Amino acid sequence: MRSKIKKNHEFFELSKFRRRLTLLVLLTLFCVLLSRAFILQGMQKDFLQKEGFERSNRNIELYAYRGKIYDRNNQILAASETVRSVTLEPRRVKFKKGDKKKLSNLLKMKIETLNKKMKTKRNHIYLKRKVDPKIASKILALKIQGIDTEKDYRRTYPDHEISAHVVGIYGGDGKGLEGVEYQKNDYLSGTQGNKKILIDAKGRIVDNLSEVRVPVDGKDVHLTIDKRLQHVAFQSLKKTINKFEAISGSAILINSKTGEVLAMANYPSFNPNKRMKKRSPFVRNRAVTDLFEPGSTMKPISVAAALEKKVVNVNTKINTGNGLYRVGRRLIADTKPHGIISVKEVIQTSSNIGATKIAEKLSKKDLWQTYSNFGIGNLSGINFPGESSGIIRNHTKWTDHYHMSASYGYAMSTTVAQLARAYTPFANKGEIKNLRLFKNDPIKIGQRVLSIETSKNMLEIMETVTMQGGTAVQAAIPGYRVAGKTGTSRQALKGGGYGSVNERKYNASFVGIAPVSNPKFIMAITINDPSRGSNYGGVVAGPVFRKVVSEALKIYSVTQDGIEIIVKDNEVDSQEI
Amino acid sequence: MKLNLILFALLILFALVKINAHHQYRVNHHALEIEKQRTIELKDEQHRLLIEESSKSGNGRILEYAKGKLNMNPPEKKQKKLIK
Repeated sequence: MRSKIKKNHEFFELSKFRRRLTLLVLLTLFCVLLSRAFILQGMQKDFLQKEGFERSNRNIELYAYRGKIYDRNNQILAASETVRSVTLEPRRVKFKKGDKKKLSNLLKMKIETLNKKMKTKRNHIYLKRKVDPKIASKILALKIQGIDTEKDYRRTYPDHEISAHVVGIYGGDGKGLEGVEYQKNDYLSGTQGNKKILIDAKGRIVDNLSEVRVPVDGKDVHLTIDKRLQHVAFQSLKKTINKFEAISGSAILINSKTGEVLAMANYPSFNPNKRMKKRSPFVRNRAVTDLFEPGSTMKPISVAAALEKKVVNVNTKINTGNGLYRVGRRLIADTKPHGIISVKEVIQTSSNIGATKIAEKLSKKDLWQTYSNFGIGNLSGINFPGESSGIIRNHTKWTDHYHMSASYGYAMSTTVAQLARAYTPFANKGEIKNLRLFKNDPIKIGQRVLSIETSKNMLEIMETVTMQGGTAVQAAIPGYRVAGKTGTSRQALKGGGYGSVNERKYNASFVGIAPVSNPKFIMAITINDPSRGSNYGGVVAGPVFRKVVSEALKIYSVTQDGIEIIVKDNEVDSQEI
Repeated sequence: MKLNLILFALLILFALVKINAHHQYRVNHHALEIEKQRTIELKDEQHRLLIEESSKSGNGRILEYAKGKLNMNPPEKKQKKLIK
């Protein structure tokens, strides 16, 4: 047994030289491996790791949708949609014959511009951003080496210029620039996500590595705007401004019970889908930002103050004389002499002298307090960016002339939105309502500023304005009782004063309530400087009211106040009331 | 010796199972990513369709279509009838 072991031992026994040679070879190989490992792990570690990561790791952005803006009937006013951006790798690009022309046609880009872009030293440039997906597909179908497309997002406004002032503009990079886009930016903006992924040799995502941040979409905003009425308001305004060659105009339609804004339009407008090189002067929502002297549209408020203080009643007679009335050095004039008229007729004929004489019976403080209670000089509650609060001096600073001017709407300024709000007490049994633009905002309880009796009397007085002999028969709606008040106010010139007869510019306004039996809608309209035909509020702004409110009454199926039928020669004909 | 061999075989087996499980995980993860991508594409499509619906149901377009193609016009004063 021992000899066998010895034999085996002897069998494996190597000569000293061979043993050392084997050891040396193994050691050399080991050293080679060790040095290679040292080079790779120690000296080229960073480079190799970077190369490895670049081949297998990717950081990808996860897009969060910006919230949509809806109207009250869930119709989209603003939303984001997917588009493509066309990219170019100048070093790789190879055009076949005719490709360049086809590409330039599809991109609507001159060949010279394309050539210029190709000369760039950068590896990757955008040929054109936010291209329609259908055009992008056609470009990809050309199979031009070095031309590719990337996914991108674009804010789209299906209503174009119609709701532009309300919805506003989105400037990209998560920033709203105007309107609701600006006002509700934090609410609409989502949080972009990202994640680090591992890809295999075929480019497939096989694992999430770390830092996964889930994208959170922005929240949707629901407005109180009714897209149908917005369209009618905008088109009517546009037609009127073109007809009377006015500079601009604004209109707002509200639900008189809740203060919800159903339509808010301005003309001229802008298309928010088009990128503006220069900021247009028509971008701001003039219905809430621009101030003007409301003129005679304020008379119902001063008369309401007098009725409330019981210094006059509906039938009190006022002597307006021959149409001229002197207060201190100033002369107050009516458009024509009205003689002795009732308080009702002061409103119906829009007599400045009548309003002045009524205001004389009120103290400065009482008149100021009433205007203030009706929201003049205060924000309308709509909280729109850039909203003006209007201007009215404190009564302690009122001169006698200021007192008289204030009675017929001069020496103060309001926005169209404030004007509409100021009429809510007449339609709500004396309660003023804040304006609301967002459907989810809570309805606030109105503040009482008039007695029920006075508000009822005022509605009846204002109804005469749209009747025969009133200043706004053009605002009457067949089948419905309409109350309202016109305003034709001179615009203050830059240097002060109202200028000579030839220099004068006017604001033609109308504020109306319908139907009188159970008021549902209030609409305020102002047209800036109508220069052709007429400049009277009833003639210029009245028809806008009639058109828009008629549609609103139809759309919301409001019961008619009264209709007449006339039968002539077996033919049924209609008569407008 | 036998125990060592068995343990070695088990080690190899578990190593293979782990590799297979990892591979399976990657295959499934890839399938999940494709589904996620599809979800995003469907969401994009939904947005696109909503915008298209909103554009095409606009009053302006309906009015244009009604007047232009269907020859529908508001009735004239004589054609209007009011019922008491």
